[in-house]
Amino acid sequence: MGLLSKKDSKLILDPLADNNPITIQVLGICSALAITAELEASIVMSISVLFVLGVGNVIISLIRNIIPSKIRIIVQLIVVAALVIIVDLVLKAFAYELSKTLSVFVGLIITNCIIMGRFEAFALGNGPWRSFLDGIGNAFGYGVILIIVGFFRELLGSGTLLGFPILGDPIEKTGLYAFGYENNGFMLLSPMALIVVGLIIWVQRSKNKALIED
Amino acid sequence: MEHVELFFKSIFIDNMVFATFLGMCSYLAVSKKVSTAVGLGAAVIFVLAITVPLNWLLDQYLLQPGALSWLGPEYAEYDLSFLSFIMFIATIATMVQLVEIVVEKFSPSLYNSLGIFLPLIAVNCAILGGSLFMQSREIASLGLAATYGIGSGIGWFLAILAIAAIREKIRYSNVPGPLRGLGITFIITGLMAIGFMSFGGMLTGGDEAVEEEQKTVEVVTEVDEDKKLADVSEIEKEADNTTKVVE
Amino acid sequence: MEKRTDKNTYTVIFAIGMVLVVGALLAFLASTLNPMITENERLEKQKNILYALGVNENEENKAIFVSNEETPKLFKDNIFNQVVIEAKDGKIIRVLSEDEYKEENNNEEPYLIDIKKEQNNAKDGEIRKLPLFLGKNEEGQTCYVVPIRGKGLWDAIWGYISLDKNMIIHGVYFDHKGETPGLGANIKQRFFMDDFIGEHLMKDGVFKGVTIRKGNADPKNNDKTDNEVDAIAGATITGDGVTAMIKTDLKLYLSYFKNLKN
Repeated sequence: MGLLSKKDSKLILDPLADNNPITIQVLGICSALAITAELEASIVMSISVLFVLGVGNVIISLIRNIIPSKIRIIVQLIVVAALVIIVDLVLKAFAYELSKTLSVFVGLIITNCIIMGRFEAFALGNGPWRSFLDGIGNAFGYGVILIIVGFFRELLGSGTLLGFPILGDPIEKTGLYAFGYENNGFMLLSPMALIVVGLIIWVQRSKNKALIED
Repeated sequence: MEHVELFFKSIFIDNMVFATFLGMCSYLAVSKKVSTAVGLGAAVIFVLAITVPLNWLLDQYLLQPGALSWLGPEYAEYDLSFLSFIMFIATIATMVQLVEIVVEKFSPSLYNSLGIFLPLIAVNCAILGGSLFMQSREIASLGLAATYGIGSGIGWFLAILAIAAIREKIRYSNVPGPLRGLGITFIITGLMAIGFMSFGGMLTGGDEAVEEEQKTVEVVTEVDEDKKLADVSEIEKEADNTTKVVE
Repeated sequence: MEKRTDKNTYTVIFAIGMVLVVGALLAFLASTLNPMITENERLEKQKNILYALGVNENEENKAIFVSNEETPKLFKDNIFNQVVIEAKDGKIIRVLSEDEYKEENNNEEPYLIDIKKEQNNAKDGEIRKLPLFLGKNEEGQTCYVVPIRGKGLWDAIWGYISLDKNMIIHGVYFDHKGETPGLGANIKQRFFMDDFIGEHLMKDGVFKGVTIRKGNADPKNNDKTDNEVDAIAGATITGDGVTAMIKTDLKLYLSYFKNLKN
């Protein structure tokens, strides 16, 4: 990383594992549960958050010195909401098909606590460049978990990945299904997302004992 | 009766945490101790009870298409619904900030233990979710909106209370090290949610469907006399002509 | 020492300034982009109706609309009449052809009728306009495309159903505003929509609609007269919403169809 100093690259790399927003900071859980039944939705959501968190962090960081502390929450929320609504409106006008896919996520992005959490914890106290890196890093960390959960839920739940059948056809009984394999419809229900995330935490913490809570 | 039904429905069947998975972040993070959980739960009930009716008023008299008609007929055309997210969020953030100030003043210990999660109530999806559900389910009156807000709040309160109690006890259990804390909480919540799914069955009473069908039959017999329908055959004829042209 | 930004006056001024800036920005964007957005929505309605009629460019498992450029022409060619039925309290008052309707409503296109508004009108005991689009499908059969609208888990769901005069479904298009991606959102996927094709809405002369049912004994959907299609796993409430909107909205057209047959 020639461009980034060691401290800066830590900002990006830390949230990927040891300070992961979902498994360690417990932020952005709702969306991780809501939309991970399908891999594609997980990827779209990750990219949207990447954009909003990156840009939002920079904006908040730029105006951090003029925000009155008493109403900082309102200011932060309005920045996110306005950002998302503007993107939504522009997409509706110029890329209608894309906006149809994304409009579902608008509400989820605004209420995604990752965004507020990073504004509050980082962007309010750091410069724009570092905030930008922090935003990108956390969005990646969030995306990684989303994609892992989405991968397993779609594969085990519907036997497909990104909509393509991987394990054969459950109705015609081809591929794996010929041997009596059945899709686990349970995986598609939200409670299973909780349990999958729980298992990811288990794996992660067995690898890195320092993270174990007492 | 309507109120009672909505009240229990929003607590159990549509439980914010277990049925719609909203408000998870603070639910997971602030449920280590029963006392803090109670504090946050109470704050959520309070904020929901105020913001849902408030946003109902906003939605009814400001945001819905045609909502501005009380200003005069010339305003009836305006549709400000694109502002609903930002208006709802602003109302919520204001209320949360208010709660933050009050809690800081009267209970500094609760304030400290809530930490970052007090401001995060504002993005507690349960709160915005409450307002958005209120809007999309077209709740009919201010009173019902208040009932819905309080009910959802109590549902969330019960959920966080339950998990906090379980977590206090589970300290004495032999949970595998890496699962301790957050991991096991996720899994327990998942199991609780599966349990709560059984409440969903209470929604679908079989009786209504039968009634509907009978009504339909009536409609059919009634309309036969309608003479205006003679037009239909003309339209059909027209249809045939058009196809000929197309061909 | 109090910081400058902690003062009450500063807070108030900042808040007012922010509201003005953000409000002006949003209002400006919304009003400048509005014509384009309306145009897009208009095209989308046409595409949806065409899709239900069977005019689409479906590939493999994907539902694909006709292109933007072709839409207006295809719509004109394929939809030969847009009937508007006026109903009150579930009874049909009169039936207007496209030309009659346009004459009365300064040239407003019937397909732009706002179903949500009409549903509210009906709730208030007023006249509800029921649009109906007449088109020919690929076999040259006249199909009647009916718009429907209802509520899913999170927000509105709506769709278009193309029927022949025996009330057998020839095509559907469903869409939603914000159903859960991967679950309820799948109502607009072909594997779900195609299940409806061929389904009967009537059973022994009584209107039954089509019920989205979990675990019915017919996942391949071979039995077209059972008034049931297989549900999407994990999307119970959205499925119930689809069932309900088919039942309530199509019921209103019943007497029209009954009259067609006679």
